Amino acid sequence: MFDGLVIAVQLVLLVAGCVFFALGSLGLFRFPDTLTRIHALTKADNLGLGFIVLALLPLAPSFAAGFKTLLIWVVALAASATSAHLVARAVRGNTSGGPRTEDDDG
Amino acid sequence: MQPAPASPIATFAARAVMLAVVWWMLTVGDPSAWGFGAVVIALVAALSVLLFPPSIHRLRPLGLLQFMAYFLGHSVIAGVDVARRLLTPSLPIKPGEITLSLRLPEGGPRWLLANTLSLMPGTLSVHLEENQLTVHCLDTSDAIEPGVRQAEFQVARAFGITLDPPEGVRA
Repeated sequence: MFDGLVIAVQLVLLVAGCVFFALGSLGLFRFPDTLTRIHALTKADNLGLGFIVLALLPLAPSFAAGFKTLLIWVVALAASATSAHLVARAVRGNTSGGPRTEDDDG
Repeated sequence: MQPAPASPIATFAARAVMLAVVWWMLTVGDPSAWGFGAVVIALVAALSVLLFPPSIHRLRPLGLLQFMAYFLGHSVIAGVDVARRLLTPSLPIKPGEITLSLRLPEGGPRWLLANTLSLMPGTLSVHLEENQLTVHCLDTSDAIEPGVRQAEFQVARAFGITLDPPEGVRA
């Protein structure tokens, strides 16, 4: 009974995780420019990976393995936030630091 | 009343303990990995003290837990918010930027805030110079500043910092 409940919750979390990953990718197509696309990727993938990690936790054979799974999420978050900031800064750098304007030669 | 930075030896010890925990996770508790691990942990902890000297800003356990709870909750809000916008046929976004004066001290606290904001609903840290943080917003018709101030407060509490009253915002 309890096992069945855990598996059901895992299934829901895995599907939710995959849905958010798919939505993050959808953002690449639907959003109009680099910065808004980064919004979609960072936020949706953070949540997607979080759900998948949660779903996998009950399968961890030991405490250390469970923490390792969580560590993967934390490290992926740090990489995601850092790379998002670096890409955003690079995009902004092309427009000489100011907001984008039509007559800006960069 | 500024607290003094911890001594290099205390910082080395604290970071070595943290690295040992990470090593334990990475090797999934394999006892045969500790010989090699001890050498790597000592080297990395020593290098980290050289590269990142002890700071006056230290994370507080209770504040860090509160920050983590805030972060998890807002991660869900952020993901659902982006999903909702993406799935709405009219694509309700209004991108723009605002620049704010941060009240957090430089170093770890400002860095943590900038990275946190990139994962929080509707904000993306673009540029951080001195205490001026430029944030790209997915929807400028939302109230951006209260969200940023809330994140700032959470980061401050994680580091045990008391913030001055807000100075205001310029668009």
